[in-house]
Amino acid sequence: MTDTHGNQHSSHNADNTSRRNMLFGTAAAGAALFAAGCTSNKSNDDKEEAGQANVADDKPGKKVTIGFAGPQADHGWLNAINDQAKRRAGKYQDVTLEATEGSNDNAQQVGQIETLINKKVDVLVILPADGKALTQVGLKAMRAGIPVVNLDRVFASQQAYRCWIGGDNYGMGLNAGRYIGEQLKDKKNAKVVELAGIDNLELTRQRTEGFDDALKNYPNIKKVARQAAEFTVESGQSKMAQLLRAETKFDALWNHDDDQGVGAERAIKQAGRDEFLMVGGAGSRRVMDAIKADNSVIKATVLYPPTMAASAIDLARALGQGKGVGGLAEFEIPASMTLYSAVVTKDNVDEYLPTGFK
Amino acid sequence: MAPPAPLLTMTRITKTFPGVRALDGVDLDVEAGEVHCLLGQNGAGKSTLIKVLAGAHQPDEGEIRWQGEPVRLPTPVAAMRLGIATIYQELDLVEHLSVTENIFLGNEVATRGFIRARDARTRATGLLRRLGHPEIDPDVAVGALSAAGQQIVSMARALSHDVRLIVMDEPSAALDPDEVSNLFRIVGGLTADGVAVVYISHRLEEIRRIGDRVSVLKDGRVAAVGMPARTTETREFVALMTGRDVQYAFPERPSAPAPAAPAPVLRTEGLTRAGEFAPLDLELRPGEIVGLAGLVGSGRSEILETLSGARRPTAGRVLIDGKPLRPGNVTAAVRAGVGLAPEERKSQALLMLESVTSNVSVSALPRFSRGGWIDRTGERAAARAHTRDLALHPDDPGRPVRTLSGGNQQKVVLARWLLRDCRVLLLDEPTRGVDVGARAELYTVIRRLADSGVGVLLVSSEVPEVLGLADRVLVLREGRVVHTAPARELDEHRVLDLVMEGSPSC
Amino acid sequence: MLSSPSADAVKEPAPPPTSPSRRGISAPRVDLRHLSLVGVLVALVIVGAATKPEQFLTGDNLQLILTQSSVIGVVTVGVTFVIIGGGIDLSVGAIVALASVWATTVATQEFGLGGMLLCSLAVGLGCGLVNGMLIAYGPMVPFIATLAMLASARGLALLISDGKTQVVDVQSVLALGVPDSYVLGVPPLVLVFAAVAVLGWLVLGRTTFGRRTVAVGGNAEASRLAGIAVQRQRLLLYLLSGLCCGIAAFMLIVLTGSGQNTNGNLYELDAIAAAIIGGTLLSGGRGTITGSVLGVLVFTTITNLFALNNLQSDVQQIAKGAIIVAAVLVQKGRKTS
Repeated sequence: MTDTHGNQHSSHNADNTSRRNMLFGTAAAGAALFAAGCTSNKSNDDKEEAGQANVADDKPGKKVTIGFAGPQADHGWLNAINDQAKRRAGKYQDVTLEATEGSNDNAQQVGQIETLINKKVDVLVILPADGKALTQVGLKAMRAGIPVVNLDRVFASQQAYRCWIGGDNYGMGLNAGRYIGEQLKDKKNAKVVELAGIDNLELTRQRTEGFDDALKNYPNIKKVARQAAEFTVESGQSKMAQLLRAETKFDALWNHDDDQGVGAERAIKQAGRDEFLMVGGAGSRRVMDAIKADNSVIKATVLYPPTMAASAIDLARALGQGKGVGGLAEFEIPASMTLYSAVVTKDNVDEYLPTGFK
Repeated sequence: MAPPAPLLTMTRITKTFPGVRALDGVDLDVEAGEVHCLLGQNGAGKSTLIKVLAGAHQPDEGEIRWQGEPVRLPTPVAAMRLGIATIYQELDLVEHLSVTENIFLGNEVATRGFIRARDARTRATGLLRRLGHPEIDPDVAVGALSAAGQQIVSMARALSHDVRLIVMDEPSAALDPDEVSNLFRIVGGLTADGVAVVYISHRLEEIRRIGDRVSVLKDGRVAAVGMPARTTETREFVALMTGRDVQYAFPERPSAPAPAAPAPVLRTEGLTRAGEFAPLDLELRPGEIVGLAGLVGSGRSEILETLSGARRPTAGRVLIDGKPLRPGNVTAAVRAGVGLAPEERKSQALLMLESVTSNVSVSALPRFSRGGWIDRTGERAAARAHTRDLALHPDDPGRPVRTLSGGNQQKVVLARWLLRDCRVLLLDEPTRGVDVGARAELYTVIRRLADSGVGVLLVSSEVPEVLGLADRVLVLREGRVVHTAPARELDEHRVLDLVMEGSPSC
Repeated sequence: MLSSPSADAVKEPAPPPTSPSRRGISAPRVDLRHLSLVGVLVALVIVGAATKPEQFLTGDNLQLILTQSSVIGVVTVGVTFVIIGGGIDLSVGAIVALASVWATTVATQEFGLGGMLLCSLAVGLGCGLVNGMLIAYGPMVPFIATLAMLASARGLALLISDGKTQVVDVQSVLALGVPDSYVLGVPPLVLVFAAVAVLGWLVLGRTTFGRRTVAVGGNAEASRLAGIAVQRQRLLLYLLSGLCCGIAAFMLIVLTGSGQNTNGNLYELDAIAAAIIGGTLLSGGRGTITGSVLGVLVFTTITNLFALNNLQSDVQQIAKGAIIVAAVLVQKGRKTS
């Protein structure tokens, strides 16, 4: 299948999430994240004290060739990943991007990456189709002296990458639950419904786990129904139609994925229902427009930011130039960065609109 | 002035398939109202010729004239439009469709594409009545009918067209004697109306009964045209078909059963399948050929299939060398040394596309395999030894079985069981579809097998075959053995009386 | 005793009623064969009524089940024809995806409802034509030819859509999927499904085309010798299947208000499964549209029932598998008894 947001960190990592929410502020997108992060994370007050000498900036520096290998872009979010990486690379005069044609076939992706290794690129950015299956080729690159930035879907061994950057599925569920909880905290016997993604993906389970954990803080709220769709419009319509029939009245809905949300919203319209608020997932442009217009059930969406690809390019450039990142006291680029799943609402939607993917 | 043109004239018809010249300049003429018989061994070109006539094959050369006018038959539909209908041996019915649906297949009773089911049914009922079979339900699926019933449906289909010429390919092969009489009555009625019949059969006695003229095909050429059916001598026909002067000869029986007969290799005790055959007690000794004579449906094939483990008996048991056999289990039967050569060789026994070697070795593969790898040299040598022994022709173990004649295909089945060290051979209609010339050879092979110590149980619709080949004969009627006697004490009339009348055994 | 062989048999006196059934050709057989499926459906309704009485036994829920059956139902009708005709069509899901994507590109949407509908049908027919030509005149094995179509149609759908969800802006199309357009409470999609099913039933049971489909699937050689143009019949069957996919694609556009390259995911398996539990022989030569429609309804009702009871996909999938096995076993038992 075509999914995408495959953070395969084992679930206990989710507990470390807040400690790992590293900030990273060299770029506009990064800054946007930073702003979002500040609303709920106060660990960065020491920004002013950052004092390393050798920090990457926008000024042209040593020439760096970055190899980029991702899966086939058959889904809106993956498209956005490719776009973000390419646009970011284009911004730097000192960066040459060698992007492969995407593939969902492990063997084919290994081949593409090996070609990049043979071409002796300076740094590799890899979003593997399957993290576990591509670990060996990550190791090979590292042994060949090419630092690897592992994007989102994590390799099985930490030796296979220099730096991992990716989304936080548990945190996504947690923030969705927290937002809904705050909206409904004064309502007695509030009912919540969840439209999940593909159930046999670990990331779907992690999102549901985070969502459930957050709702535990609100004893007045009960999750009354959950159905899993397949990240497709068609399944979104079908499963949502069933949910609407099963629960004749509820107060909030969290949909894991804005792509399948197109179908879910269609089902809601067909059922003529509007008594609840709906929270999306991932952050598509269409949903952000709807939040801004504020004339439908959609009130918010929880990000799984595709800007991580742009950030990965930044990290790769810094690695290639032997520099650190600004805003931290560290000399070296961190080994791991879990991004924050911000909640986009009407209040902050303008900030995020440019990152919304189509 | 020339005499009026015959209904059909085929001149110098030639048809070549990759590697085979199936028809090589064949001439045939058929008059209205006659029964024109086609004789020839398997592979002589009869099937190809009738397919050309039916528009199913296109000749490479030659001319077809219909009532003196040259015609082309590019499709089966074109042939049907002229009034040529063909009744094939087995492949022209769709078993899931009903009798009515089959009769009008390709020629539906319809208005603007919508079928008039009621009209079709009425017409089908009428046709079945004309054919003397009003008891056939026009709504029943053809697959549920007996072979004879299916034959009637094929005939009804032929008659549903405005027919001038009917081609019948071995129409009596699946029929019992009284069904055959009915068939002849129908043929007689057709010819009286001026319809021509092209009749193909291996059975000379039938040709003598209804045929007017006979043409003989051999190796894709005409060996004789328009010989009188009733007066030509059998010997001459056989000579024309085979190119040799062959008698319908059976091998010698061993002088007399040895007084100290060996213990039976196969014995049954009260073996029964309710509704199919009554309790059967049978003994078969090594070296003995026992024949089962009976009509289609007398339970003879069912007995063979039960012995081979393909059907599970409702009572009784089978003993091989005194040891009881696990009932209803083919694997156990094969392991004990029971081999079945079924009637439907092509569908039930042979892998038609595979080589002779793989067909012979398939039941004995473990013998040639080491850890799952097949020792191909050993396999080929062993298969070859047995096919040589059976005088397989052509003697080429790599040849696909599909390309062999019926008799040689049967030999491949026999070789398979010999390779398996078979003790008991069950032969169901071993000469069906085997031409006259090859039969004698097959009889010799079967007798040699018996002489080598194998017990043979033989089922055949042709009484002379049972009488000529078997040592002992069991006559079956409606699932019951009505008579048992040494073959030399019986003759054809006596057996037919028993089979049909069921007079008490002496 | 024989009259002239060319005489029209209709002239003969009406035969005595030798067999009890004098009505339609296959009416008695049909009822018996579908009894098990109707049984399953009744059992599902009882379970639904027992577990969720307020939600299950309502007009709205019936409407939902029928709506959710409609798209896959239309595809299944086409697939049933192909299977009865002795073929298989693995490409239906991919054709639905391609047609739905092609009909929702910005360029196509400019032509409005008519243009989108036409585009959808044309893509379906086009793919069916390619399938049919490859299989009838290639000649290729249906499994391989349609597998190739599956891969290339999905690929083309991805290429056209670039992996993006193409949202429909044409109001007249969108309107067909919302309650305002329902005819006496029946959604247009359900009406289309009903029309396709009834037409399919008529064509299969009452026309020469249907009869020849059964014949070709049951015994191709016999059909050829009976004068049926077997290859042409095969071509037409895949065209029919393609047309059904085109209709289904447009229905899916109306239902979801969008076109996406992931549409029609695994339709081929769902449609084949529905046809098989409906009594269609996978080897061809036997099957009914009624059975296939019942098969689709059984699957949709299961999904509905499980969703209403908040059971998750894993349980749903297990149940689906069990139903397939059970339905086929029951039919086998019926056949041999």
